[in-house]
Amino acid sequence: MVVRPYNEELKYLEKISDCCWRIKKEFQPNMKVEGCFYVNSRLERLMLEELKNSCRPGAVGGFLPGVKQIANVAALPGIVGRSIGLPDIHSGYGFAIGNMAAFDMLDPTSIVSPGGVGFDINCGVRLLRTNLFEKDVQPVKEQLAQSLFDHIPVGVGSKGIIPMNAHDMEEALEMGMDWSLREGYVWAEDKEHCEEYGRMLNADPSKVSLRAKKRGLPQLGTLGAGNHYAEIQIVDEIYDKWSASKMGIEEKGQVCVMIHSGSRGFGHQVATDALVQMEKAMKRDQIETNDRQLACARINSQEGQDYLKAMAAAANFAWVNRSSMTFLTRQAFAKMFNTTPDDLDMHVIYDVSHNIAKVENHIVNGKEKQLLVHRKGSTRAFPPHHPLIPVDYQLTGQPVLVGGTMGTCSYVLTGTEKGMHETFGSTCHGAGRALSRAKSRRNLDYKDVLEKLDEMGIAIRVASPKLVMEEAPESYKDVTDVVDTCHMAGISKKCIKLRPIAVIKG
Amino acid sequence: MLKLKLEALEHPAPGSVDVNDRKVFASTILWLEDQKIRQYKIEDREDLRKVDELEIWEQAYENYKYDLSMPQFVTPLEEITWLLGYAIRLEFLDAPESYKDINSIEVSKQQNKSIAPSIKAENFFDNMDFNHKDFITGVRALATKLKIPQHPNHLILLEAVARVVHERLSPSAKNRQAITGTPFPFEKGNDVVSDDSALDYPVRILRLLQIQSLRELQTKINETIVAVQDLTANPKTDTKLGKVGR
Repeated sequence: MVVRPYNEELKYLEKISDCCWRIKKEFQPNMKVEGCFYVNSRLERLMLEELKNSCRPGAVGGFLPGVKQIANVAALPGIVGRSIGLPDIHSGYGFAIGNMAAFDMLDPTSIVSPGGVGFDINCGVRLLRTNLFEKDVQPVKEQLAQSLFDHIPVGVGSKGIIPMNAHDMEEALEMGMDWSLREGYVWAEDKEHCEEYGRMLNADPSKVSLRAKKRGLPQLGTLGAGNHYAEIQIVDEIYDKWSASKMGIEEKGQVCVMIHSGSRGFGHQVATDALVQMEKAMKRDQIETNDRQLACARINSQEGQDYLKAMAAAANFAWVNRSSMTFLTRQAFAKMFNTTPDDLDMHVIYDVSHNIAKVENHIVNGKEKQLLVHRKGSTRAFPPHHPLIPVDYQLTGQPVLVGGTMGTCSYVLTGTEKGMHETFGSTCHGAGRALSRAKSRRNLDYKDVLEKLDEMGIAIRVASPKLVMEEAPESYKDVTDVVDTCHMAGISKKCIKLRPIAVIKG
Repeated sequence: MLKLKLEALEHPAPGSVDVNDRKVFASTILWLEDQKIRQYKIEDREDLRKVDELEIWEQAYENYKYDLSMPQFVTPLEEITWLLGYAIRLEFLDAPESYKDINSIEVSKQQNKSIAPSIKAENFFDNMDFNHKDFITGVRALATKLKIPQHPNHLILLEAVARVVHERLSPSAKNRQAITGTPFPFEKGNDVVSDDSALDYPVRILRLLQIQSLRELQTKINETIVAVQDLTANPKTDTKLGKVGR
């Protein structure tokens, strides 16, 4: 890696608008395209500080700063357009989390990289609405949180309550949400309101190792640990009344449930297995990258295809997982309010994936091209009238669900034309980490974190209280800054703001 | 393949030619020369005729192959295949014009016709002449009555008539309750169409119609899924399996 003094580094960065920076091609070796990132003034400071710290003499270890990671991605073979950093970007394995990049499917040297998808394949957010209001839920929120906690197992090593055998698992990996539908865990309308209709058709369970399947089997229907959560939320603000009403959100105070989870140990194992294969493929095909963590393989190679098929199976796993939790949430609410999920109007508003690679068509330099779009910590945000979004959202644009951190608010945005042109229809995914997990553990006390949540009137059920400081709001960027930047840049549009009143997490 | 080629050449018994029976082979060669190839004059074919005296015939056959410049083959099957191909080519060259209409498209049409079950024209409309002037006048009169603008193509006009009848006048449509709710301000969407209102307005209307038909399709899909779920769904939970992690 090139190490230059901070002042030298800044010469390669240029602010091109109020909230967008350009990374010039000379910033890192072999950059095929430019990089860019979206930040407002507060996020800009965080971003540049990170770069400054890495320029200090003797700064070694840890991940590279996000700016460098964006630039290294821009040096990967077959990349088109720009390597794009969203406002919630923070360093990750290979690709930064909050980095999206698209590769030309027709270019035989184009690559697919597991680091560009992330270890939690098809981690995503699902939002359910209800016809309840805050006044109905506030008195019983402790019981509701407990009921959710009883239904949805959380934490490291948790096991789900939906009985599954190895055969069911194979079918679920191939069918995704269609499996949940067939078995009756979800409603037909849920599939309609899910990215990819809840099933990637190229999934091939035979490309998945036995080890991954063994890890995944008992974990279906569990939330997991880390930043995953299920929250009962209240509509706090409506910015776009008309789009909100299309989503069934009519008034402030309406109650929603947000589920943030992924493919658990299954996806992690799929990614780990693929990285081993890809190192071999890189040697064979002589693929050079700036960072060893950017292991990748040509899309058309055996390794590349195998990964895409296994990744699709992991994506299907995640959809079945979120669907199972949807079922359990509906059960919990129905029991609590002594009615049926139907009468509570508990429809899925939408389900987004923010760790995934997908083949999509985009206009590049005035021509339509088929691209493999990597979104890691980035959410698809397609504009109105895009054929891949549900018919109910054809006029509003695709709903984008942005989960905040424990105790802070979450947002619903909609996709825009501008985002389609500038960022391949992608936007932010969450708050984005500001402190590393280790640093959070050192600087914060879990008792303070829990007390603070209590003061805010948020009921919390957590499997491992001693780890909550990793997920404390102080460890993250301000989600409002992140969302405001996306709104200001026009790559997505603010629609609804939600605040939590009960949280369950690992 | 051999049989097909023999059939094409109108051999009297295309199904029963055994090329490994030397006598049958010999007489087939003779038939080809007599009827199709005609390499020799009739009087020069004497030795080839001696199919009962195979020794003489074999010698004549060797000469015959040489005279036709047949390439070197190993099996009699290969030889007769080449000869049949040669004969077919000669037949074709005699009158290439008469075969020019036979191509893969025409042939497959012919075959499909024979495969498809013949449907008896019981439907009254099957025999109707849609371009008859009475029909056209009828369609135009109907459109005027329903207040549908005229279109140069009366068939397109008929489609519009059908749609209006189906959506407004059919029994199910008549009993349908009027839709209540806030009307949709379609000139204000999140979508950008055009600054030109003459373009903007119709595009928005077309898009809404498209969305309406997509919605109908999606609803049918959902209804189908629900119908299947009635047969397959059996959701189970077992709280004994649950385990909260660390």
